[in-house]
Amino acid sequence: MAKPREAKKKKLGPHAFINRELSWLEFNRRVLEEARDPSVPLLERLKFLAITGSNLDEFFMVRVGGLQLMRAEGRSQRDASGLTPTQQMERISRYARRMVADQYTCLITELEPALHEARIRRVHMDDLDAEQAAHVDRLFEELFFPVLTPRAIDPDKPFPHLAALTIHLAVRLAHQPDQESETRMAVIPMPGNLARFVTVPIEDGYEYVLLEDVIQAYAERLFPGEIIEELCVFRITRNADMRVREDEAPDLMAGMEDILEERLTSPCVRLEIGPGASNAMIEYLERAFNVEASHVMLAPGPLDLKAYMSIATMAGFDEYKCEPWPPQLRPDLAAPESMFDILSSRNVLLYHPYDSFEPVMRLLDEAADDPGVLAIKQILYRTSSQSPIVAALARAAQKGKHVTALVELKARFDEARNIEWAKALETAGVQVVYGVRGFKTHAKVCLIIRREASGIRRYLHFGTGNYNESTARLYTDISYMMCDEDYGADAATFFNTITGYAQAVQYRKIEAAPLGLRARLLEGIENEIERCNQGQKAHIMAKVNSLVDPTLIKALYRASQAGVRVDLNVRGICCLRPGVPGLSEHIRVVSIVDRFLEHPRIVYFKHGDDPLYYISSADWMSRNLDKRIELLVPVEDPAAQQRLREILETCFKDNVKSWELTSDGHYERSAQRGKQKRVRSQEVFYERARQTVKEMEQHQRTLFKPHLPSG
Amino acid sequence: MNASRLNAKSKPGIPVAVIDIGSSSIRMEIAELAADGHVNSLESLQHPVDLGKDTFTLGRIDAATIEECAKILRGFRRIMGEYGITDERSIRAVATSSVREASNREAFLNRILIAAHIRVEIIDEAEVNRLTYIAIRDNLERQGALDDSDTLAIEVGGGSTEVLLMQEGLVTQSRTYRLGALRMREMLGINRTPAHRVVPMLGRHIQRTVDQMKWALREADIKRLIVLGGDVRLAAQELVKTGNDNERLAPVSLSKFKKFASSMASISVDDLVRQHRLSYQEAETVGPALLAYARMADAFNMDQLWIAGITLRDGMLLEMATGGSWTDHFKAQVLHSARALGRKYQYEEKHATHVARLSSLFFAELQDEHDLDPRYELLLRIAAQLHEIGLFVANQSHHKHSMYLIMHSDLFGLSKADTTLVAVTARYHRRAVPRATHTEYTSLPQDQRLVISKLAAILRVADALDQNHNQQFQNIGFLREKDRLVILVRGVEDMTLERVALKQKSEMFEEVYGMKVELRKDSGRGRIADHG
Repeated sequence: MAKPREAKKKKLGPHAFINRELSWLEFNRRVLEEARDPSVPLLERLKFLAITGSNLDEFFMVRVGGLQLMRAEGRSQRDASGLTPTQQMERISRYARRMVADQYTCLITELEPALHEARIRRVHMDDLDAEQAAHVDRLFEELFFPVLTPRAIDPDKPFPHLAALTIHLAVRLAHQPDQESETRMAVIPMPGNLARFVTVPIEDGYEYVLLEDVIQAYAERLFPGEIIEELCVFRITRNADMRVREDEAPDLMAGMEDILEERLTSPCVRLEIGPGASNAMIEYLERAFNVEASHVMLAPGPLDLKAYMSIATMAGFDEYKCEPWPPQLRPDLAAPESMFDILSSRNVLLYHPYDSFEPVMRLLDEAADDPGVLAIKQILYRTSSQSPIVAALARAAQKGKHVTALVELKARFDEARNIEWAKALETAGVQVVYGVRGFKTHAKVCLIIRREASGIRRYLHFGTGNYNESTARLYTDISYMMCDEDYGADAATFFNTITGYAQAVQYRKIEAAPLGLRARLLEGIENEIERCNQGQKAHIMAKVNSLVDPTLIKALYRASQAGVRVDLNVRGICCLRPGVPGLSEHIRVVSIVDRFLEHPRIVYFKHGDDPLYYISSADWMSRNLDKRIELLVPVEDPAAQQRLREILETCFKDNVKSWELTSDGHYERSAQRGKQKRVRSQEVFYERARQTVKEMEQHQRTLFKPHLPSG
Repeated sequence: MNASRLNAKSKPGIPVAVIDIGSSSIRMEIAELAADGHVNSLESLQHPVDLGKDTFTLGRIDAATIEECAKILRGFRRIMGEYGITDERSIRAVATSSVREASNREAFLNRILIAAHIRVEIIDEAEVNRLTYIAIRDNLERQGALDDSDTLAIEVGGGSTEVLLMQEGLVTQSRTYRLGALRMREMLGINRTPAHRVVPMLGRHIQRTVDQMKWALREADIKRLIVLGGDVRLAAQELVKTGNDNERLAPVSLSKFKKFASSMASISVDDLVRQHRLSYQEAETVGPALLAYARMADAFNMDQLWIAGITLRDGMLLEMATGGSWTDHFKAQVLHSARALGRKYQYEEKHATHVARLSSLFFAELQDEHDLDPRYELLLRIAAQLHEIGLFVANQSHHKHSMYLIMHSDLFGLSKADTTLVAVTARYHRRAVPRATHTEYTSLPQDQRLVISKLAAILRVADALDQNHNQQFQNIGFLREKDRLVILVRGVEDMTLERVALKQKSEMFEEVYGMKVELRKDSGRGRIADHG
């Protein structure tokens, strides 16, 4: 891979690390493989394809944008894998091109024929029947025409500013003999409020025309009396790696709004051009957006694959979708028993979305209405605007409770949405804190202070995912709820620290980034090494989304060298190179890509006979450990520990949706070997959750409970 | 600290907040006080401030620092609200030397009251020591380590060092030395001194105070040294591995402690902040303070010292838990201090103790008239106990000598205000009644002046009853007759002398209580207070 160069660091050369951008692209390839897997339901495949499109957009905006910025600033420092920004850009570009080609092969030659078969059909303008044509004609005249805004390009003026990620139509108009001007250009942005897929009437099934096809077909009506020489679609992507400069922006809210504006005008990092563009047109657009040829992607099919999500998730066509796996609500966590009563008798660990998110919601709902609740403190990050959680917090504040919401405005791409509901919360009387200066708050914790007959009690929820009911149905995450004095004191201290009321002190149980989280993990790793050296059995298991942090990777290498068994389940980026003799032969890295997005962070240290389990909000990336406020929460409850153990072990047993990272940095599908049982971990978790509920219900049926007067 | 999960006590605990405004940080403890006096900590907060730096260098608190403190305390006030703590009686906030010594302390207090609605009380060294002692004693007791051996408790603060000597479980000496970690840093200019010279320089400076301490404690046989304070708690985090929150006192070998102290003293403040996760304020005091402890331990030939995770706030909480009333132990402690002081001035103990006893009988009899809190009974007894110590100086005007001797002595357990009250009460045991020209009296607030009149009136009468210094009035009783209080006496034949004395000394009593006092032989009709 990397050219040999003078080893700057101690022993580990650049070969010890996998480049993070390439590792990320590898992840997207695994997602794409799901789209190409015929055993996956058709619309689910389309969804995976849409996800690869969305992922790639974000990758260009943030990662490529960042690299481009580094190059523009003349910085040439190499990354851990020994590549300069330029070298990385070259490889990314090569890899991404191959991926785009695969995406369109998948769409055009694999999915579209199958969709056609399934009566989900794209119709070209020329193929519309009379009724359909009349329908489209009416749509254009009544709905589209009034909102289309073609913009003429004045060659003497700067190119007009165009919105990123929006499909535009480039129009070349013919030279008119009575005027002196040469060829003229115009652009038509596709209005954001129009559906990309224009449904046309059909008796049976679903047929659609692409919006850009309609506009192209009717373009002449927008330029009356002119001759259109060429039409083509294109889309630009802008660098979004803008950091809020907090020192300069005393009011973060104002600073954030500036960023959102800046993001509209930052440099172009990718230019995608639809099929059929002439060379002249391509060159023209390249010049117009000032992009290098290597940043131009010629798409053989429709742009913006992300949009296909709406078809993949449309109503009906259930035979082409995954069998629904509804979240399971354990009867022992269901109403009417209040969450406060439940949690004061036992700790509750949930694995979403197999386990319903409802108990978490209910805890907050009850807290908002419970007269004994004095205060609620909650971190909100990427929650939804109509969120019942936000509503519950607002309601609690209106009822006179002390409600503090730490709203992280720096959640990537969600800023605009966040600002809106943050302001609404403030209006309701919630004390809203906009993040922590210099850090992004990523921890997920909720603290409820309640006055009870026995005194003050504190109820806690720790999570690995955001408080967002919609992603809670798509992401796998852990919730850990309890009523505990030590954890309660820790959570209180944590909130006091991040809201600036007090200085950080030692926690009783938990650990937080940026101060001590990495240290605690390193301590855990070093302890296993030491035990291994002393002849004890040692084992580390971890499930995270990304593993990038060089310090942790080096520690894991040391562990492998000492003989500690290390099992890692890393869904996305992994810069650790496993299976290298003398370096990492005791480390195994697997990645699971299935219908739910794998999202929890779970860590296990064998620790002799006294295993340590943690859940965490933090990925093992330097960014998370140094620049974010994250939590590492020990799980001490025996039943909860057992559950975590099962989750980890099942993940490592997956041989259906699991990929194994090889020492050359590539991933291979895990396969059933020999007599191994087929294990699809997500299915196992779903079945297990269902089974648990079933058993409980059966058990309850034999137990009658009289209605007792309340009070 | 760790109450069990489902500890279904019938009575709910009362959440309270105590705040301590110190020289380098403001700290708050939120805790629940159970009906049985158990204190359960809910939250501990601390926020660094530059109060000490301002006061010890400028003599006043900078306006920006005042605003910073107001902001911090506003935040603390909000946290209190989250636990439903709104009642003034559930909040106690105190400030120590850095506010006390600031010329603009009034402005500071007002600003905090207006901005954060927190009434801050400035407390003196004596009060700090008293509260700390309450916490130390409680912890020794709970750890089963309370014994009779001479124990020294030291806290090196930002501005001063407090030293308590405990003998047989009672405090027999309490002193404040002007050795402070922050003061040292500012005075010696440590920030500009190369690291290798810091330790010896501090050592020389500390040694001067250590020598004074040794002299003051020359008669004690110190067996145990307890060290307290924020800096010690930092050391404890590194040196003591204890999982038990209840064990707030932990022994550490001196050699280990010394090593740690000199390492901390020779690291630059910046490195301390980075390597040990300290705030700048903590980093500035930790080195000098730990070195001072090490020197003191050396001076008293200790081979280990007891690190105490005990704070002023613990004492405040314990006191709140007992409802603010003085415990019997505490009363015994204060009386012990008073007797020790009396002996120092070679007083006539029998007479003094007798007058004290009589005073307390009067106090009880006149409860409806004076309507005073029971704590004043103790103050009256102490004033009675010490009323004649001024004789040590001279016979003439000895009441005045008594006053200033008391005023300038450490009566352990009593605050400065209480000590003053005792001193002025003792002054009025004879001769002039309070007058506008008596500045010690007139400088007191109206309510305190009234208390002194009530107490001194009793003291005069009680003193008159032992005019002979022969304690012959052992059994007395009281009888009310219209406008007079009749003192019934049993077993005394000749009361001429006392009657004369009473005539002279009951004038004030008549003015205050509106009753004449009459001595009468008991004929069996009155109630006799029997004190066997």
